Amino acid sequence: MNESKVDAPQTFFSCRELNAFYGESYVVQGVSFDIPEGEIVALLGRNGAGKTSTLRAIARASEPGLTSGEIWLNGQALHEMKAFEAARSGVQIVCEDRRIIPGVTVEENLILAQIAEPIGWTLEKIYSHFPKLEERRKQEASSLSGGEQQMLALARALARDVKLLLLDEPYEGLAPVIVQEIERMLREVKSMGITTIIVEQNAVAALKLADHAIIIDSGEIVFTGTAQEVLENQALREEYLAV
Amino acid sequence: MDMTLNAFTLSLLTGLQLGSIYVLIALGLTLIFGTLGVVNFAHGALYLIAIYLAVSINNALGFGLALILVPPILFVIGILLERGLIQRFYNRPHTDQILVTFGLAIVLQELLKWIFGANNIPFAIPSWGNGIIMLHDYLPFLEGFVVYPKWRLILVVVSIVTVAAVFALLHLTRFGLVIRAGMRDAEMLQFMGVNINRRFMIVFGLGAMIAGIAGVFGGPVTQVSPEVGMQLLVPSFLIVVIGGMGSLGGAVLAGILIGMAQSFTAPYIYINTIIIYLITVIILLVRPRGLLGAKGVFE
Repeated sequence: MNESKVDAPQTFFSCRELNAFYGESYVVQGVSFDIPEGEIVALLGRNGAGKTSTLRAIARASEPGLTSGEIWLNGQALHEMKAFEAARSGVQIVCEDRRIIPGVTVEENLILAQIAEPIGWTLEKIYSHFPKLEERRKQEASSLSGGEQQMLALARALARDVKLLLLDEPYEGLAPVIVQEIERMLREVKSMGITTIIVEQNAVAALKLADHAIIIDSGEIVFTGTAQEVLENQALREEYLAV
Repeated sequence: MDMTLNAFTLSLLTGLQLGSIYVLIALGLTLIFGTLGVVNFAHGALYLIAIYLAVSINNALGFGLALILVPPILFVIGILLERGLIQRFYNRPHTDQILVTFGLAIVLQELLKWIFGANNIPFAIPSWGNGIIMLHDYLPFLEGFVVYPKWRLILVVVSIVTVAAVFALLHLTRFGLVIRAGMRDAEMLQFMGVNINRRFMIVFGLGAMIAGIAGVFGGPVTQVSPEVGMQLLVPSFLIVVIGGMGSLGGAVLAGILIGMAQSFTAPYIYINTIIIYLITVIILLVRPRGLLGAKGVFE
C-alpha cells in the first residue's frame, strides 16, 4: 500500500492534470480540481463529456487507462494504486448501472463489500437505515427493483470505510417517487460529512445536493464554481448541460 | 437396440467412469475459464504432467506418496504457470490465449516424450484397488456372473468426492463466495477492495490440482503416454462448451452425458467416433450458450 508522500497536496482530495484514454482516444484531458473534506461536488456535462471516465480514473479502474496526472486522497497517492488498493484507501464508487452482483443474495452483496479491511457500517446499522434491504436480505440481489438495487449499491459503499464516495448517475432510470427516496438517503450521506463526487444527468437534482460544481466538456473542465452559480446561470446550463 | 440388463448396467458404469475423467479435467478447465476468462488449452498437458509424475512416484515410492505429492505439486505448477505466462494474456483476445496455451501444451507433450519416451508406461494399481467387484452380489437384478474392475469404480467415487469438495468450497465458504461473485463481476469486487487477481491465481492452482487428482487416479485407466493429454483435451473442451462456458454444474452434467453417450454407442463404431461432435452440434443449435451457461458469458 502506498504511503503519504511529501508532495501530497494539503487539500483532502486533489486531481492534478489527469489524462486518461480508451483505446486511442483521450476521454479525460488535463482535469484538475480539489475538494475539501466533507464537501459534495457535482461533476456535470453532456453525454460522452468524460464524467464517468473521470470517476473511473479516480477509482483506478483499469479502463480508462491513466497516462499521466496525480490523484491524492488524504495524503495517499491513488494514481500509484490499483482499484482494490484505492478501495482500501477509502474510495467507493456507486456505478451507473449499480453493478449488483447477480447470482448471490442481497446480504452476500453486503458481505462481499466487507471481505477486505477497513470496513464501515455493520450489517445491523445498514439494515436499520435500509429496512427494505433487511426484508429482502435472502433474496437474489439481481431480482430487486431498480430503486432497491440503487439502495443496495449505496449500502454496499457504506459497508466500507468510505472517505471519498463517487456516485455515478444515482437517479438514472428510477421513478420520481424512488428518486425522492434516494435523494433523502443522499442528504443523509451528506450529513455524515462524506466527501462526494456526484455525476448526474439530472443536473438540477445534483446541484441541489452539491456544494460545488464542475462542468466538463470533451474531457476538459470548462467551468468550476459553486452549485448555486450554476443553478442561477441558465445560459451556462444551456451551453454545456442542455437541460 | 436390443440390450440385456447386464449389458445396460455395465455400459452405465463405463459411462460413469469415462464421464468421471472428463468431469475432473473439464471442471478445472471451466473453473479457469469462468474466473480468468482464459481458454486454457494447456490443461490437458497439466493432466499429462500429473500422470507422469504419478507413475514415477508410484513406481519408485508407492501410490500413497503419489497421492499425497502429485496434487500439491500440480497446484504449485498451476500457480507458476499463471504467474509466469497466463496472466500476461488476460487482456488479449481468446485466439491469442488459445494459441499460446496450445503451443505450451505441445512443448510440454514433446518434453515429456523426450524424457520418458513415446511408449506407454505401465501404471501399477495399488493392491487395495486391484481386482474386480462382483456386481451380481450387490445388484440382485443382474443375471449370472457380472463383474467390474474395482479401480474404475474407485475413480468414479474419487470424481464424485472431488466435485462435491469443489462445490462445497464454492458454495459454503467465504473464499467460494468471492470466487462466484468474481466470476460474475471481477471489476466490482476490486472496487470493493478485494484483490481478486490473487484469488483467481489460487483458482488456477486449484484447477491444476484437480488435474493432479485426475492424473493419480486416471493414469492407470487412460494409460501413460504423451498423446493422452491431447486425446482428453478435445472432449473435455467440448464438455465445457456443451455444459456452458464457466458453468461448473454444466461441466458435470455434460461430462456424464458424453461419457454415457460414448459408452452406450461403443458397439457401433461409426456412431461412437462422432457421437461427441454430434451431441455438441445438436446442443449448440438448440441452446447456443450450452446446457447451464450463464447469459453474457462468451457471447
